[in-house]
Amino acid sequence: MIERHRHLMTPLNQKETFKRLMGYAKTHWKKLAIALLLLLGGTASELIGPILIQIFIDDYLTPREFPQNELVMLGLLYIVLHLGAAGMNYVQMLFFQKVSLEIIQSLRIDIFAKVQSLGLSFFDQFPAGGLISRITNDTEQVKELYISVLGTFIQNIVFLLGIFVAMFYLNPQLALFCLVLIPLIIGLMLLYKRFSSRYYARMSEKLSELNARLNESIQGMAVIQIFRQERRMLREFKAVNEDHHQAWLKSIKLDGLLLRPAVDFISIAALIFILSYFGITSFDQPVELGVLYAFVNYLDRFFEPVNQIMQRLSVFQQAMISAGRVFRLMDHDEPSPGQKGTGSPVINQGNIIFENVSFSYDGHEDVLKNVSFTIHEGETLAIVGHTGSGKSSIINLLLRFYPLERGEIYIDGVALSRYNNKELREKIGLVLQDPFLFAGDISSNIRLYDQRLTDADVQKAAEFVRADRFIENLTGGYAHPVGERGTTFSGGQRQLIAFARTMAKAPKILVLDEATASIDTETEEDIQHALENMRKDRTTIAIAHRLSTIKHADKILVMHQGEIVEQGTHETLIAEQGLYEKMYRLQKAY
Amino acid sequence: MRVFLELKWYFIQERRRYSLGILILASVSLLSLLPPYVVGMIVDHIDQNTLTPQILFNWMTALFGLAVTVYILRYIWRIMIFGSSIRLARQLRNDLYEHFTKQSARFFQTKRTGDLMAHSTNDIRAVEQTAGAGVLTLVDSLTLGGFVIITMAVSISWELTIIALLPMPLMALAVSKYGFMLHKRFSGAQAAFSRLNDKVQESMSGIRVTKTFGNEKDDVAAFRDESANVVKKNIDVAKVDALFDPTIMLIVGSSYFLSISAGGYLVVNETLTIGQLTSFNVYLGMLIWPMLAFGWLFNIVEKGRASYGRIRTILQEEPDIEDRRNAVNTPPRGDIFFDIKRFYFFEDQKPALENISIELPRGQTLGIAGKTGSGKSTLVRTLIRDAEIQDGTIYFAGLPIAEYTLDALRSSVGYVPQDHFLFSATIADNIAFARPDASYTEIINAASYAAVHDDITAFKDGYETVVGERGVTLSGGQKQRISIARALLADPEVLILDDSLSAVDANTEEMILTNLRTLRNDKTTIITAHRLSAIQHARQIVVLENGRIAEQGTHSQLMQKPSWYRRMYERQQLESLIEKGGDDL
Repeated sequence: MIERHRHLMTPLNQKETFKRLMGYAKTHWKKLAIALLLLLGGTASELIGPILIQIFIDDYLTPREFPQNELVMLGLLYIVLHLGAAGMNYVQMLFFQKVSLEIIQSLRIDIFAKVQSLGLSFFDQFPAGGLISRITNDTEQVKELYISVLGTFIQNIVFLLGIFVAMFYLNPQLALFCLVLIPLIIGLMLLYKRFSSRYYARMSEKLSELNARLNESIQGMAVIQIFRQERRMLREFKAVNEDHHQAWLKSIKLDGLLLRPAVDFISIAALIFILSYFGITSFDQPVELGVLYAFVNYLDRFFEPVNQIMQRLSVFQQAMISAGRVFRLMDHDEPSPGQKGTGSPVINQGNIIFENVSFSYDGHEDVLKNVSFTIHEGETLAIVGHTGSGKSSIINLLLRFYPLERGEIYIDGVALSRYNNKELREKIGLVLQDPFLFAGDISSNIRLYDQRLTDADVQKAAEFVRADRFIENLTGGYAHPVGERGTTFSGGQRQLIAFARTMAKAPKILVLDEATASIDTETEEDIQHALENMRKDRTTIAIAHRLSTIKHADKILVMHQGEIVEQGTHETLIAEQGLYEKMYRLQKAY
Repeated sequence: MRVFLELKWYFIQERRRYSLGILILASVSLLSLLPPYVVGMIVDHIDQNTLTPQILFNWMTALFGLAVTVYILRYIWRIMIFGSSIRLARQLRNDLYEHFTKQSARFFQTKRTGDLMAHSTNDIRAVEQTAGAGVLTLVDSLTLGGFVIITMAVSISWELTIIALLPMPLMALAVSKYGFMLHKRFSGAQAAFSRLNDKVQESMSGIRVTKTFGNEKDDVAAFRDESANVVKKNIDVAKVDALFDPTIMLIVGSSYFLSISAGGYLVVNETLTIGQLTSFNVYLGMLIWPMLAFGWLFNIVEKGRASYGRIRTILQEEPDIEDRRNAVNTPPRGDIFFDIKRFYFFEDQKPALENISIELPRGQTLGIAGKTGSGKSTLVRTLIRDAEIQDGTIYFAGLPIAEYTLDALRSSVGYVPQDHFLFSATIADNIAFARPDASYTEIINAASYAAVHDDITAFKDGYETVVGERGVTLSGGQKQRISIARALLADPEVLILDDSLSAVDANTEEMILTNLRTLRNDKTTIITAHRLSAIQHARQIVVLENGRIAEQGTHSQLMQKPSWYRRMYERQQLESLIEKGGDDL
C-alpha cells in the first residue's frame, strides 16, 4: 500500500461518522415518523394493560364490587389494547427494519459508485480485498448499527420512558425514587462499554487472525506438507486458537460480571426498594395494592429492554468503526481523468500523435521520457521492449486511465483531454493481456451491457474474430453459461471472446496488449487470423509479443527504460541494421 | 435433541464443569422463586394490616442476601457452561486443522476453501451454541419452568395454574415454528449477500474491462439490482423476525387476562388472597422466559445437529495417502527410476500418465518439456506422493517411494510449485519456512542463489518486509524467486522446479540456473519448463505429449532431429530477442 492510501485504513472519528449516518436516515424521515408513531402507540397500549389490572384490583376486586357492564368493558378494552399493541408493534418493527435496509442499500450503492468512479491509479495500488470488504462486510456491519439504533435502542428507550410515564401516573413520588435507577444503569452501561470494547476488539482481532491463518493454511497445505511443517503450523494455529479462547473467556467473564447477572441484581434491589416503600407507607396510611401490583409488574418489564440494549452495545461499537472506514473511502479523492473544456469532438480517422510525453507514477521516477511518435489512420504500430520499458504506460495514457501531466497526445488533431469519456471508450478498443470474463453467458460477455447490440451483432462480432466455431460447439451456443472468471474456458478461448467483445463496438482505434505465452493453445491459429482481421482498416497500437504482429506492422517502436531507442518503418529499420534487422534475418531463416 | 447424545463424549469429558454448572443453574432457578413469594406475603400483610417493621426488615434483608448469592451463582454457572462450550469450539477447531494437515491434494481439490472455512467457523459456532446456550436453555427451561409451575400449583392454586398456562404451549409452538421459517429465509438472505459479494469481487477484478468500455454506470446499475435483491430477501427475514415479539406479547397477555379473570373469581370465593394473586402473576411473568427458551431450543439444537454432522463427516474422512506399516523412516538418497505404467487422476477414464520410464541417476539434472496439459506437473508430483500411482511406481534409492514414510520421502525432496504460494509473514520467515531455525546468513545466501536478494534489500524493511494483502505486493517473478529460495534453504536431495521460472526474465533465469549448477552439482534436480532455455543444459530432456514420452534425449540430440523440441526452441529464441528489446543491441 502506498502513502497516499494509508489514511484509508483508519476510520473517520465517531462524531463525524454519526452525523453522516444520521444524514442517510434523514431522507427516510416520513417512514421513520410513521414508525415512531406506531411505536409510541404500541408501547402505550402495551403499558396500559397493567394499569387496567390495577383498576380491576383496586376499584372492583378489593371492595368486592362487580358491575357486569363495566367489567366487560374493562375486559374488552384490555383485549383490544393488546391486539392493537401487537399489530402496531409488528408494523413498526417491520418499518424500522425496512428503513434500515433501504438506508444500507443507498449507502452501498453510493460507496460502490464512488469506487467505480476512482481512477485506475487507485485500483493499481489499493488491495482489492480491502475494497471488497468495505463495500460488503463493512456496510453489513453498519446495517447492524441501524437495526440496533433504530430497532433495539429507540424501541427500548421508548418502552422505558413509557414505563416511567405509567409509574408517574400511578404514584409520582415512588416513580421519582425509581428515577435513581437510570443513572445506576447508565453507569453500568458505561462501565461495560469501556471494558467490552477492549475485550471484543481483542476477540475479533484474534478471530480474524485465526480465520486468516486457517484460510491460508488450507490454500497453502501443499506447501506445508511438502516442507513437512504440519506439526509446526498446527502448533502455531493452536497458539492463536488459545489466544482467541482466552480473549473469549475474558469477555464471557465480563458479560457474567456486568450483563444479566448485574442487571438482575439491580432488579432485586429495586424490588426491595418498592416493597419497603409500600411497607413503610402502610404503617401510617392505607396503600393501594393494585398500584403495588402494577409497580412490581412494570419493574419486571423494565429490565428486559435494559438487557437488550447492553447486549447490543458491542455490536454498536464495531459498526461505528466499520461506518467510519466506509466514509473514509467515500471521501477519497482520486477520480478518473475526465474531459477538460466543453464541446464534443469526434474521432473520425484515428490519427494519433504523442508529443514529448513524459510520465511518472510516483512523481519521482519517470517511466516515460520524452516519447514522441505519430501513427496515421489505418496504420499498425508495434511496440516492443521488455517488462518495465514503459509499453503499458503508453496504453494507460492513451486510454486516459492516468492523467497526462507532461507533453500532449492528439487524436485527429484534438488534444486527448478534450474528448468526453463516451467518445473515447467507444472509439478506442482495448484488448487486455489477461482477458477477464464475467459470470453470465457468452453473449452477455460479448455485449457487455450494450443493449443496442442485437444477437446478430454479437454473432457477427464472434464470426469476425473466428470465435463462432468454438462457441457454436458449446451446448447452448451463445447462451452457454460462463462461470466465475470464465475458468472453464482455455486461455485462447477467453482471448477470442475478449476480441469479439472489442470488435462488437467496431472501434476506430484498436489497442492490443498481447498475451505473452499462449503459444500452445489449440486456438492459436484462430487468434492469428482474428488479429489480422481486426487490424484491417483501423489504427492499431500493439504491445507485441508475436512475430506475425511485428512483421505486419507499419511502424515499430523499440522501448527501453522509458525511451524509444529505435523507431521507424520496416525499410528504415532494415537500413539501420539494428535489432529489427537482426530479427528480420532470423525470421527468414526460420 | 439427538445432538446432545452425539456430543455425549464431550459432556463426559467435561463432566465436572457441566454437572457443577447445571447444579448451580438449577439452584438459581429455585432461588428465583423466592422474590415473588415475598411480594405476595408483603401484599397480604399489608392487606390484612399485619405488617410490622421487623417482618419487613427481615424479609428485605433476606431478599438482599438472595440477590448477592444469585449474582455470584449466576457468574459461576456462566463460566462453567459457556466456558466449556467455547473449549469445545477450541478443541474442534484444532481437530479440524490437524485433520486438514493430513489430507492429500485430492481432498483440497474436491472441496472448496469456502466450504472448509465454513465448517471451521459457522459450523463450529453452531455446535458451540448447542453445547452452551443449548444446554443452558434446556436446563433452565426445564428447572425454572418446572419449579415455577409446581410452586404455582402447590402454593397457590392448581386450577388457576392450568387455566393461566393454557396459552403457553402455543408460545413454544409459535417460537419454534417462526424459528424454522426464519432459518429458511435467513439462508435465502445469506445467499443473496454472498451473490452480492461475488458481484463486488468480480467488479473489482474486472475493473480494467469496465473502464475500457466505459461501463461504470451500467455496472453500478447491475450492482443496484443485486443490492436490491439483498434488501428484498432481508425484508422477508424481517417479516418473520418481527412476528416474535407481538406473538409473545399476545400470548402472555392472554395468560395474564385468564389468570386475573379466573383469579378474581377465586378471590371473591375466598379461595385465594389478593396477595396470592399478585405473586401468581409475578410467577406467570417468570414463565415467559422458559417457554420462549424452549421454542428457541429447537432451533439451536436443529442447527447444531446439522453443523455437527458436517464436522463429523469431514473428521471421519480417511486420508487417502498414508504411511504403510513398517515404512522406512530414513530419507532416501540415490538414483531415481520412474516406472509408471498408468496413472489416473481421480476417477478419470483416460490415464494422465502412461508408460513413463525414466532413469535418473543421482546428481543428474532432468528437464521435462511439453505443452500445457501434457502431464509435466503430474509427473513430478507423483514423486512427492501427491497422489498414489495405480499401476507402476517410482523407485528411489532402490525402493518404491510408497515404502518410505511420507515424512522421510518429503524430507528428501524439495518442490517449488507453479503457483508460488507465500504465507502472510515476513520474507525471512517465508524463506526459512522449511527450517525455521535457519540463521540470517543462510537465508540471505538462499535468496542470493535465487537472485532475489537485491529485490528484497530494495524494500524499506528488507528481509523483515511482510508479504500478502496487508503488506507489500510482490510481482509474480519475485514470488517465484522467493519460493525457489525457500526450497534451496532446505537443501534437499532432490529439487523439483515445476515451471517455477516462468515469470522471471531471461537474464535472471540464466543467473539462477548457473547458481543451481554450482550449488547442486552432486545433487539431483528436476526442472519442468515452458521456456526451453531453462532445461537446455539438463543431462537428459524428456518431452511429454498427452501423458506419454514423445521425445527423449539431450539438447544436442533433440536439436539434430526435426523435433517438436527443436521447433519450439527456435521459436522461443526469436521471441526472447523481442522480450529483451534493446538490451542485446
